[in-house]
Amino acid sequence: MTEMLSKTEEIVKKAKSLGADEVIAKTTLGKYRQVRFSNNQVDITVAWNDYVTDVILAWKKRLVATQMHNFTNVDTSLRQLLRLAKVSEESPTFGGFAKGSFPYAKSKADKKLEDLENPTDYVFEAIEAAKKEIGSGIDSGGILFTKFENVYLASSEGPTGIDARSAIELSIRAFSEREASGHGVACSSTLRDFKPSDAGTKAGEIAKLARSPKIGEEGAYDVIFDPLIFGSIVSIWAGMISAYSIMTQMSVFVDKLGKKVAPEIVILKDNPAVYSMSNRVFDDEGVPTRENVFIDQGILKTYLHNTSTAKIFKTKTTGNAGLIAPGSWSVEMDAGGVSKETLFKEMKRGLYLTNTWYTRFQNYAKGDFSTIPRDGIFLVEKGEIKQSLKDLRISDNALTMLGNIAGISKERQQVHWWGEADPPSLSPYVLMKNVHMTKSK
Amino acid sequence: MDEDLINCALEYAQTKKIEYAEVKGQSQTADRIVLRNGNLEAYVTAVDSGFCVRIMANGGIGFASTNKWSKSEAKQLVDLAFKLAKAANRKEKLSFAKKKAVKTKWTVDQKRKIENIPSEDRVEALTEVDKTLASCNVKIPATISQCSIDLITKYFVNSEGSRIRSFVPKIGAYFFITVAEQGKTEQAYEQFGYSGGWEAFNEWKIAEKMVHNAKVLKDVITRAKRLAPGTTDLICGSEVAGIAAHESCGHPMEADRILGREMSQAGRSFIYKGGPYWTGTRIGSNVVTVVDDPTIEHSYGYYLYDDEGVKARRRLLYKDGVINEFLHNRESAAKLGTRSNGSSRSINYDREAIVRMANTFVLPGKLSEEELIEDVKHGVYMKSFTEWNIDDKRFNQRYVGREAYLIERGELKQPVARPVIETTTEKFWTAVDAVSKEVKFDAATCGKGDPSQGVPVYTGGPCLRLRGVFVK
Repeated sequence: MTEMLSKTEEIVKKAKSLGADEVIAKTTLGKYRQVRFSNNQVDITVAWNDYVTDVILAWKKRLVATQMHNFTNVDTSLRQLLRLAKVSEESPTFGGFAKGSFPYAKSKADKKLEDLENPTDYVFEAIEAAKKEIGSGIDSGGILFTKFENVYLASSEGPTGIDARSAIELSIRAFSEREASGHGVACSSTLRDFKPSDAGTKAGEIAKLARSPKIGEEGAYDVIFDPLIFGSIVSIWAGMISAYSIMTQMSVFVDKLGKKVAPEIVILKDNPAVYSMSNRVFDDEGVPTRENVFIDQGILKTYLHNTSTAKIFKTKTTGNAGLIAPGSWSVEMDAGGVSKETLFKEMKRGLYLTNTWYTRFQNYAKGDFSTIPRDGIFLVEKGEIKQSLKDLRISDNALTMLGNIAGISKERQQVHWWGEADPPSLSPYVLMKNVHMTKSK
Repeated sequence: MDEDLINCALEYAQTKKIEYAEVKGQSQTADRIVLRNGNLEAYVTAVDSGFCVRIMANGGIGFASTNKWSKSEAKQLVDLAFKLAKAANRKEKLSFAKKKAVKTKWTVDQKRKIENIPSEDRVEALTEVDKTLASCNVKIPATISQCSIDLITKYFVNSEGSRIRSFVPKIGAYFFITVAEQGKTEQAYEQFGYSGGWEAFNEWKIAEKMVHNAKVLKDVITRAKRLAPGTTDLICGSEVAGIAAHESCGHPMEADRILGREMSQAGRSFIYKGGPYWTGTRIGSNVVTVVDDPTIEHSYGYYLYDDEGVKARRRLLYKDGVINEFLHNRESAAKLGTRSNGSSRSINYDREAIVRMANTFVLPGKLSEEELIEDVKHGVYMKSFTEWNIDDKRFNQRYVGREAYLIERGELKQPVARPVIETTTEKFWTAVDAVSKEVKFDAATCGKGDPSQGVPVYTGGPCLRLRGVFVK
């Protein structure tokens, strides 16, 4: 462990001796496993062993970065990087890397995930759980993914640290009919809290309810979002809360600091806590990560920052530095005061959406976008599911939707799948008013 | 690249009880310049080099990769891939469609080697675009631009005797602008890509295109009118025709998707065995022939051999409006009792090769763009698009116009703000009554796979004329 840190520190010292003003090196030794399955059978099992050192250095406010994949050509790579810095132009927004030395929380990564060589049994556990709901006609597919990373960070500005990061995720989509499916996920940072059968059961339950869907009708609906699809919607806001998104006009939150952007019941945080699939104790500048409430009782409180963007916005870093730009690690929405059952019971007429994909914007600054719900889409009347629907699209606005949140459940689930619900989030069931749905004509 | 190590790994794999083994080494030099508002934001350069082993044993597939180049690592990798293949414990055993062994080397030429272009020249070339934009009389509060270089060397060997070496240089650029007028904003981006050298950069005419986009966006804010929803004729510019060909022809024709292998991520297809659509089913009018062709020289999606060592060729996906030929790798081809047509691609040594498009477009017709428009009494010309998406069975799609105009009595009139076509694949392609003769390609990055593998492709094509479609 300490040998790797020493080698990482050596890179920083070497770069300084060659003339760099500020340097950060981060070495990641990653062990990743993935089982992909479809038609209820394993298609391929994949193992990646990856070693990478990310190096970012500044020379007279010129910012250059590289990745090294071994320690043998460090000198050559650094000389080349500095040569590039010297022919580059000054970055007007670079405000230096984080300074000081910080105490870090002890990593609680699960070593069992490092030693898990063949996790195929978890796949069958999930398929069996889905099968219990659907029956023998089930067709299912998905992935099981495990991650264990040892991370070593050294900075010329003081921060030095070791972290270990673990995660396990099972994503299953189960079909009860050709156009009737459900999707469930199980996400955790530890094997102990990983429940693959819960994902299978959820996928099976939705797929069973989704049988015999009819094409839905256009219009504005009250909608209950399942935690999985809400994870996708939350990821839109999470991407837009980065200070870099503000600076590049890729956000509906430009000029909204201190303003009301949501109802009072909405509290949104970024928090790469121990339970999260994105758990980490420091960011890419070595700043300790922490909980950052960015929407508090509906008021936009902060953007997510690294040291440079924080200087521009005259504030302090929030511990969200990526290598180049700040970003969200893991989002939490505070639990509401009502149960999931109450949300449904109080719905006179509306939709229950369970998953979505292919979210695309017309204009990030304005927020107009559409996304296509998939898997179970249900018409709810007087609190009960009346009809399974298909072929509807959400065509709405990211800021308007945030403002239209009307109910949040007590129940929450950690969700993540593919690039559609990413970063991971702790999402509740959410009732939103007046969501615009369109369809093909 | 240590080819001996790759050969050794294959030899070691062949000592085991396997049905098939392959080893692929890949070295990729990547260089990224990112500018914000014309200022250099970051310069990232890296060489990533590693190899992977894919083994079929007991009808299952195991895949393992590493970036540590050592004999002991190679041996461990083979052992691991073998173990993972057997652990699949499949009831239906997998196999690969047959192919002959190939021993060859292929490369892409560069007139001006991109690795010889100083980084400051590349920064300056992008900065010039910002300078031009700054003087175009449109308020542009934010730009993001990027120039990318990838030098990709591969060495592929398999247990059937194939030995394929390749070198492909790729250059790409991306430009995103936000236009603000009258307190409102509009946004647009363009992507550029080429397999070859720096000679492409000037040919792209990025500044000219982005100035045009800036003026179009200004017009959308200041002059364009919303369309009254209704049934009308629609001319799709090459950019819109291209995204439609990619999304509602290329993707649903991927055989792995048809067979369900992507069901939980990119989804399935409206085409499936026993369903209403299969090869031989009409899906569009007889003027519609959509092809996917990796062999277009210097195209962004160019390759001569795919990542399973199968020779690339043009595929006729929809032929004269009829579903004709799926995109296959060796696994999907074996399942459907045919041969691979060379559609297997991976983005790096650490990703399995899966069924992908290369350059997908509608074959040109005989009319000029003007002739297409002349024959429209009342309609819309959607020249380019902004928001778009399609459902995961690839049947319900939506394209929102970026640059669009009203057509009255065969002439282009005032700009139209954000016209939308939201329709089915069958309605879209059936409505096409004419195709223009000029083909224009656009570079794009196609997403698929888990972990995601964004592969370079061309979309674009000729212009299409659709009769009587609902536009809002």
